[in-house]
Amino acid sequence: MTALAILIALGPLTGPAAAIAGARARLAGIAQAAGAVVAFGCSLALLVMLNGRAPLFGWDGFLYVDSLGGFFAMTVAGVTLLAALGSIGYICAEEDSGGFSGFQVRLYYAFFGLFASLMLAALETGNLGLLFVLVEASTLASAALVGIEGRSRSLEAAWKYVIISSLGVTIALAGTLFLFYSGSALHLGSNLGLTWPYLFAHAYALAPQPLRLAFLLAVVGYGTKVGLAPMHTWLPDAHAEAPSPASAMLSAALLNAGMYAIIRFLAIAHARLGGTYPRAVLLSFGFASIVIGALFMVRRGNFKRLFAYSSVEQMGIIAVALGFGGVLGLYGALLQMLNHALAKSVLFLSSGDVSLRYKTREASQVSGLMAAVPVTGGALLLASFAVLGSPPFGLFLSELTIVRAGFASASPVFPLLLLFLLGLAFVPFARTTAGMVTGRPPDQLANPYPGKAVTAVTAAPLVLGLAALLVLGLWIPAGLDTVLRHSIEVIG
Amino acid sequence: MESLSATSTAGVLLDLSGVLMLLLAFACLASKLFNRYVVYYGAQSVVLSFAAGTAAVAFHSAELWILAVLTLAVKGIAIPVAARRLLVTRLALKRDAAMSTGLSTSLIAGGALTAFAYLVIRPDLLPHGTVAAAVVPLSTAVILLGSLSMVVRRHTVAQLIGWLIVENGVFLGAITLVATFPFIVEAGIFLDIVAGVLIMVVFVSGLTRQLAEASAGELRELRG
Repeated sequence: MTALAILIALGPLTGPAAAIAGARARLAGIAQAAGAVVAFGCSLALLVMLNGRAPLFGWDGFLYVDSLGGFFAMTVAGVTLLAALGSIGYICAEEDSGGFSGFQVRLYYAFFGLFASLMLAALETGNLGLLFVLVEASTLASAALVGIEGRSRSLEAAWKYVIISSLGVTIALAGTLFLFYSGSALHLGSNLGLTWPYLFAHAYALAPQPLRLAFLLAVVGYGTKVGLAPMHTWLPDAHAEAPSPASAMLSAALLNAGMYAIIRFLAIAHARLGGTYPRAVLLSFGFASIVIGALFMVRRGNFKRLFAYSSVEQMGIIAVALGFGGVLGLYGALLQMLNHALAKSVLFLSSGDVSLRYKTREASQVSGLMAAVPVTGGALLLASFAVLGSPPFGLFLSELTIVRAGFASASPVFPLLLLFLLGLAFVPFARTTAGMVTGRPPDQLANPYPGKAVTAVTAAPLVLGLAALLVLGLWIPAGLDTVLRHSIEVIG
Repeated sequence: MESLSATSTAGVLLDLSGVLMLLLAFACLASKLFNRYVVYYGAQSVVLSFAAGTAAVAFHSAELWILAVLTLAVKGIAIPVAARRLLVTRLALKRDAAMSTGLSTSLIAGGALTAFAYLVIRPDLLPHGTVAAAVVPLSTAVILLGSLSMVVRRHTVAQLIGWLIVENGVFLGAITLVATFPFIVEAGIFLDIVAGVLIMVVFVSGLTRQLAEASAGELRELRG
């Protein structure tokens, strides 16, 4: 099992290895995708092996994987696989058209693999200090991806991202300190004492006042990475300026990794402080994010910004679900995270195809996508409806679960407000994407990809992601259900 | 690990270091010259390294000794020297004109934040008479002042220094609150800081090439 866990984290490093060896876009892309397949396969195998057994624990808790960590690792590895497949076409096209120099291509794969690897490692450690180190390191690796195009706009976005996120994560470090401090009564001298499973098991002995502060600081700090309002300001810029497959990684993998850290703190806070305080914190930040996300979607413009604001909204929904709590709320939150990751990967990857073909990121300049490129057009439209929570896709089921959890736990005001805001977000989002898909296509649209094989690979992640979304909307496989239930047991 | 009492020698020295670090953060906030920012940051890091050394003596901790040496080498010497060579000298930065408030306003805000830090870290949070009760409000104030200088300064280099001051504040809190992280975590945090500074230097240089002045005030393209 230990070997599997290490392979998950090291798998995506094939891309950087190929890049350092001087491979060109196509070869490096294939190497990256192969590494992602290894990581995804290992994460599935690890989840199967963890089923019903004690969590994987080693090296004084520096290595710790339970069902929850395994579930997140599976999600992140899956997104990495989709984004790596999408990268092959995108980066080949950029290299072919001269948009990326050979150095930029190597830089892209070096940081793409490093970013994925650091996130996966963060999900596999039980030591909360090391969690901070790895999350901060993944910020830095992804900042390089955001700024990779080197234009003033992308450098500006990267600067905003790195400075706001670094400050945010530093606040999370202060939260981690207060958490350790709240355990003074436990005499946490050894490495073991600073691990999540130990602190969770001994939550009864933690001092409540410092723990409150610790939880709040952790939500603000890691919430900056998640993009919870009002700490979300970096998010739309970074998502809009990064190359599209990297945007997919940011939105579908990085935000989830940040949410994972919040869930770990939430579990400890909930065990010691009860439900009221964590609920108040999470509902406030959650609803603020949904409102901000929904309001900013009204502005029509760059379609990647639209998807980014939808991520802010979705993360808000997940925070609200965590705030509702209970088995139903947690189940809904985890399912929503998986579904959102799939839907956003498809959206950002298809947006990459659109921006390569139409040579613009403005929604108003794109029309007739369905007629011009049926696969991308169809994927964009279906994924839009999926992300907005229409049946028969997975997000419908998970949002329904979250609303039910709300009625079960809190006053009915909150779930009703949630439903209202979801409806509010529907209109501007659907209007923009429908406008892109329908209408008359422009007369000449060149195929940006070199060769038929590359063009075909571009469609693969879109089809795979949509198929998974559809399956999750119709029926939750028994294995996934078991994993989700085990994950909830771990933190409840 | 037992918390130090505030009246022991080590406690007094730690307290003094905290006060000095707060004063240096104020000095940085009150300055308008890029050279000074770097000098004040370097001096603050040296004081932090002294604080870590004091705690190392008090706790007989080898890890804290390593932390003290690392702080001195990386934050006290390497980062200030690199910042001066790679940013201040190379980009010919002198006076920082890009501020969103006047100096006096930001100093008053800094004073208010310091008072706020003492209000937030209430006595029921930390046991009375321990050194933590004295130093943690100071470190919180340093964190808030660093954040404030990131907010009022629009120049990217000034924001970078602001972040580093925040980081120093967190470390001061770490030394007094929990004495020590596992060594691998400390080393990781240092690695992150160094990598962060490097990547930020690259961005600042890139932005300077593209804009006349790498001031975040001119970073106006991305809105809404």
